[in-house]
Amino acid sequence: MKKISILSLFFFCISFFSFADTIKIVTTTSDMKSIAEFVGGNKVSVTSIATGYQNPHFVDPKPSYIISLTKANLFVTVGLDLETGWSPQLLSSSRNTKIQKGSSGYVDASEGVNLLQVPTAANRAEGDIHIYGNPHYWLDPLNGKIIARNIANGLERVDPSNKSFYEANLVSFNNKIDLKLKEWQGKMAAYKGSKIIAYHNEWVYFETRFGLQIVDFMEPKPGIPPTPSQLVKVIKEVTANKIKVIISSPYFTTSSSDVVSKQTGVKELTMATSVGAFDSVKDYFSLFDYNIDNLITALK
Amino acid sequence: MKTTPPPVTQQTRSSLSFNPDIGVIGDFRGSYISKGQKNFDLYLNETEVSLQATVDPYARADFFLSFGRDPETGKYGVEVEEGYLTTLSLPARLQLKAGRFRSAVGRVNTVHPHALPFIDMPNAYVNYFGEEGLKDEGLSLSWLLPTKAFYQELLFQVTSGYSESPAFARSEGNRLLYVGHLKNFFTLNDDNTLELGLTGISGPNDSARVSNMGVVDITYKWKPVKLNTYHSLTWQSEFYFNHQNLMDNYSMSSFGMYSFIQYQLAKRWFLTGKYDYAQKPFDKTIKENAFSLTAGWYATEFSKLEFETKTTDDNIDKRFYQAWLRWIFVIGAHGAHQY
Repeated sequence: MKKISILSLFFFCISFFSFADTIKIVTTTSDMKSIAEFVGGNKVSVTSIATGYQNPHFVDPKPSYIISLTKANLFVTVGLDLETGWSPQLLSSSRNTKIQKGSSGYVDASEGVNLLQVPTAANRAEGDIHIYGNPHYWLDPLNGKIIARNIANGLERVDPSNKSFYEANLVSFNNKIDLKLKEWQGKMAAYKGSKIIAYHNEWVYFETRFGLQIVDFMEPKPGIPPTPSQLVKVIKEVTANKIKVIISSPYFTTSSSDVVSKQTGVKELTMATSVGAFDSVKDYFSLFDYNIDNLITALK
Repeated sequence: MKTTPPPVTQQTRSSLSFNPDIGVIGDFRGSYISKGQKNFDLYLNETEVSLQATVDPYARADFFLSFGRDPETGKYGVEVEEGYLTTLSLPARLQLKAGRFRSAVGRVNTVHPHALPFIDMPNAYVNYFGEEGLKDEGLSLSWLLPTKAFYQELLFQVTSGYSESPAFARSEGNRLLYVGHLKNFFTLNDDNTLELGLTGISGPNDSARVSNMGVVDITYKWKPVKLNTYHSLTWQSEFYFNHQNLMDNYSMSSFGMYSFIQYQLAKRWFLTGKYDYAQKPFDKTIKENAFSLTAGWYATEFSKLEFETKTTDDNIDKRFYQAWLRWIFVIGAHGAHQY
């Protein structure tokens, strides 16, 4: 009996200390959180500032987010100015020198990503453009591997003793991506070249990877709400190209695509832009499972 | 099928120059007042130039230069609206600010006017701090309390009293202006937040004696996380308690407050109703009551157009009416606003 209690005390201590030793990661978005959990395993505890059903451009910098940042060992950002309206302010208010830009605990997950839609000129007459390129790169599963590599690099900087553990997790994450990508591309093969309309310009990486063709956007320019003339243009395009679906995101209203749908019969589909957008989108893999299955249903 | 990721190469993601982030904010206005000789006016109220950058691993610097119009003479003048250094690496969750900055009083005083949801400043605020507000030169130390359940920040500021405000003046002697502020921020749930602020101010007044003030601010916000760009509501109130020592054995206490509700009707449309109550600090028997309504059209993050009407009653003059039109536009870098 005594043996058992000593043993349980021993395990209690181990679990207590391993909990106390976890690397605290704060990510800006839920996709970064999901990938950080795959790479970090039980050595990390991860919180995300933005939820999966929230517009990552416009997160309100609530002071309460600062509380988790003050204690973080690692900060992971999507980068490319996606979070420019809120994360720099939270970061400098955190008073945590370990996670400031340039410090070992700062991870810009976009490092090394092959960027699409890099503008040749910075001109706000074009709407909300991103001077470094389109920042929605996590919607290509192969970029998930680059994100994972960047997070692993960050973890190995702040916790070098567990390097082999993170590397092993990285390998199994990459293998799972390769495996799932075959499955996803197989499912999408029949729909290659399908023309669709999107609400906002945030699908270019997804579109490129899975061979879709986004003909136009509901927004006349990124960040500018749909105008009557844009709706007329979209209605014409839907009819001319026999477009089957308008894709949108949880944080946009459907009132304008409802109009187009009523006029043309085109289907409307709210896709998951991030992990947690819907209850069934629990991690980075189910993000693509959800989007591909629903898109195929709409394109059938 | 290509399944290997492209080679990981280092890419430059920030322009390779040490120039600070530069922004220019224009504030164009039209105004109407029902009393006096001149009833209508059109003017570029202010041009604000912001220059912001990290100094070195230990600090960042923020400068806001204001090119403003003197309402009396119509002449433009340049003023350092704010110019301060903020430390980035103090231990024990401390942050030190040095320079000229907006004092940590309530909610309105720390916000640049172009970011407020109304055009005129609250009556009580103007009575105590003037149109320009309380901004002064000195040191500000902020401490983030280790409270886990909610956000708590304590600020203590010591400044020299350069700020020309009705309630406080620069001492000819050695008296300084002290400000203490406790900010409490509660996340009720994902969509609802509450902020309660307590401010104490003590400093020299123009009677070469001391004025003391207490300010309480309460802000409730509803902003649904999912559709936060379409609908939101803010209810913000501030209460000002002032006590001025004017002569030996003679002092005056006065009170003022404002309360506004801002409702976001649609992605670009905002409506703000504000109530003002103010006793004059020099004579509390003079009381002002005012109601105003502001409609705002926020075209993008970089420009907004607002129209405000206001009715003011006091117990001396007859009722008068005011209206303003304001067009705010930003070029260059645009810093984030506080929540």
